[in-house]
Parts: sequence; C-alpha cells; structure tokens
Amino acid sequence: MTVTVHFYSYFKDLTGCEQVTETVDAGCTLGDLHRNLVARFPKLAAMERAMLIAVGVEYQPHSYVLKEGDEVSLFPPVQGG
Amino acid sequence: MTITTEPIDEAALLSQREISEGMGAVVYFLGMVRGTEGSETITGIEYEAFQRMAEHQFELIFQQMEKRWPIESVRLVHRVGVVKTNEPSLWVEVVAPHRGEAFAACQFLIDEMKRVVPIWKKTLIQP
Repeated sequence: MTVTVHFYSYFKDLTGCEQVTETVDAGCTLGDLHRNLVARFPKLAAMERAMLIAVGVEYQPHSYVLKEGDEVSLFPPVQGG
Repeated sequence: MTITTEPIDEAALLSQREISEGMGAVVYFLGMVRGTEGSETITGIEYEAFQRMAEHQFELIFQQMEKRWPIESVRLVHRVGVVKTNEPSLWVEVVAPHRGEAFAACQFLIDEMKRVVPIWKKTLIQP
C-alpha cells in the first residue's frame, strides 16, 4: 500500500523535497516508516530526537499502524507566536 | 481563529468585540517580531504553517480551555508569510468573568500553541 509523506520547515531542506510517496507493507507502523525515511534521507537521522510526526491532523505515536492513503507529516519542533 | 498572510488589523478586531454582561475581564496578547535574535539584527520573520493541522490543533486547545475555565470566547489571528520587525505575528483575545481565569487561559493558549501547533519561523537576517 502507499502513503504520502510531507516534510515541513527545514526538513524540506534536509530531504530536498516537500513530499514523497512510500510503498509499505500491510501492518507497517509509523516507526517502521520512520526508519525507512531515515535510511532514504540520512540527514534526518540527526533530528530523530527533535522530530514530530502526524497522520492527517493528529499527532501519532511510532506504534500507529499505517493505512492505505494515510497522509504522514514529519516536522521539527513547532515555533508559533 | 484565522491563519492569514494579511497584516493583523487590530482596530477592526477590536471593533468586532462581543462581550456579554457577565464578563468582567478581557485579556489581549500580541506577539511582536523583535528586531534582534541573539546578537543578530533581523528584518523580519517568515512563518510557515501546516494550516489544516494548525487549525485543528488550535481548536483542540480552545476545547481544553473551555473545559478548564469559564471563558466566554477566544479569538486568535496568526500571521504566516513574512512579518516585518515591529509588526504583530499573533493576536489573541480571551474573554472571561474574572481576570484570573482570563490571564490563565491566555497563558495556557500561548504555551500550548508553542508546543503543538505546527507553525515554524525562519528569521530574516539583515544583510
């Protein structure tokens, strides 16, 4: 199945793109996807402790099991105001 | 709640204020773009938002505020795009029966925004 991954803020610079489409196996978790993305975009590895992950408009833990068509977003700590 | 590239029109926002008779406190907060960041002089800040999620997360914060304090209303405007030094990037109004809950709710809103609402900033350094 496929999921779309969006990058925000300087994560776009670290990956060189705004979004990618990833093909994952059924049962794949956000944690699994995260590992795949770090392997594909090694510059993300340094941000591991300062990375927020959402599916749709909600934050989700690494244990979240992905579904077909999920929109995943990866971004650094937020800085509004 | 509005996330906009347009400048914040404080006069217009104030003119739209609605308060019922039981309300005794209105707290306003303005977030301003400072002219310095550390030792550097900056000309402004460029804000980026994941707008759909930002609006949702603001709504979740408003719901928490309504559960914790007897507030009557919350209005919020956040700029995105380039905001020049000395211009407001954030405008907040909290209306409540008493000042304690109005101040506490406003403080909570700002603190939570800085924790969960997906908005980021990039300082624009003076060349």
